[in-house]
Amino acid sequence: MSFEYHQPASVAEAVDLGARFGAEGRFLAGGTDLIIQMRRGKLAPRHVISLHRVPGLDGIEVNGAVQLGALVTHRAIERCAAFAGRLRGLVEGAEVVGGHQIRNVGTVGGNLANASPAADVVPVLLALDARVACLGVGGERAVALEDFLLGPGHTACRPGELLIGVAFGMPDARTATAFLKAGRRRAMEISVVCVAARLGLDAGGERCVSARVALGAVAPTAWRARDAERLLEGQPPTPEVFREAGRAAAAACRPITDVRASARYRQVLVETLVPRALARCLERIRRGAS
Amino acid sequence: MSRLGLSLTINGERHDVLTEPHRTLLDVLRVDLGLTGTKENCLEAECGVCTVLLDGRAVNSCIVLAAQCEGRRIVTIEGLAGDGGLDPIQQAFIEHGAVQCGYCIPGMILSAKAFLDERPEGTEAQVREALAGNLCRCTGYQKIADAVVAAARSRARGR
Repeated sequence: MSFEYHQPASVAEAVDLGARFGAEGRFLAGGTDLIIQMRRGKLAPRHVISLHRVPGLDGIEVNGAVQLGALVTHRAIERCAAFAGRLRGLVEGAEVVGGHQIRNVGTVGGNLANASPAADVVPVLLALDARVACLGVGGERAVALEDFLLGPGHTACRPGELLIGVAFGMPDARTATAFLKAGRRRAMEISVVCVAARLGLDAGGERCVSARVALGAVAPTAWRARDAERLLEGQPPTPEVFREAGRAAAAACRPITDVRASARYRQVLVETLVPRALARCLERIRRGAS
Repeated sequence: MSRLGLSLTINGERHDVLTEPHRTLLDVLRVDLGLTGTKENCLEAECGVCTVLLDGRAVNSCIVLAAQCEGRRIVTIEGLAGDGGLDPIQQAFIEHGAVQCGYCIPGMILSAKAFLDERPEGTEAQVREALAGNLCRCTGYQKIADAVVAAARSRARGR
């Protein structure tokens, strides 16, 4: 590793440095991906712009909308009391990332910018219709997360632009979220498949009025199973309907075979985990935990 | 390449070092300061042998740049024992035979310390989860977990 090092003390200064170095610069947050990729020689930025002295990017705001600053750590998400109810799925995604050492420094901004297809928090944010805020010298723009993720390691963030945060609406009453991850062991594991679900019921609890099913590690980016979502909307929240949604998601996803699992096994996992995640949402709504 | 002058607070003592920006906290601890209790192994934040406490939280020093630690509090295994002897966690590791080859132990102990400082009455299941980022290739996990649970009890008695 060899680079020029910069540590701006404000967002404005960071954005100026980003614009100056463009594609030759990288912003450094927790370093849990970037430092490893640099050591492997996969990335060799000439300029590293550390964000650790930039104030104002590590806040969590909850007031109708939820805003997570780019430097919010997985640890902070895990421990945020406001996420214990309807946003439980977000906590479940954050608490299975790496071990404590990773979660203590790894950030939501880094998780998004790194754009791993197997990132655990990203499918949950996708299920929440999150929007990513990018700031450049030309100003700030919000990009729907679905449009932000372009492929492994590739995002819609332009060279020099700084990802400053991610925002989404607080889910309505009678709505719950859940996240499930399949790996070969329980900790320190990259997901073989992960599933995030958001389910909203009508006032009587008889029909699904909103549904999101987002999957990780079955496509080049975290991915929404729209066929499954369409099957759920307007239907009663029964095990049969949930199983049907699982079959639709499994049929539509296009996983690869790699060192962690075969494509076929990943589809079987999707078919199993989607109904399970939906059932977990339903249970949470019925318990009034949301 | 430009060098950076850094002031690091390690185990309560201030150290001024002059180093290149690409060097990690692990490099500086082991090579510049001779604090070799912190071990080096995978260099990819997988194994946890390089765990130290940064402002009280467990981090993998192999992926933290030394430059990011300026002005922050670092605790390594060398800083755990005080004038009164070993830390209760160290003592419990000895009493429970939790150390085999020993290479993972400094990281294990620091992860355990970060955990117990936050949750003094940790259950065994919580202890195991807390140590998930520390690998022991001798596979002595049971005795390690026993030692941390015992340390929690002895710390509680000491209060």
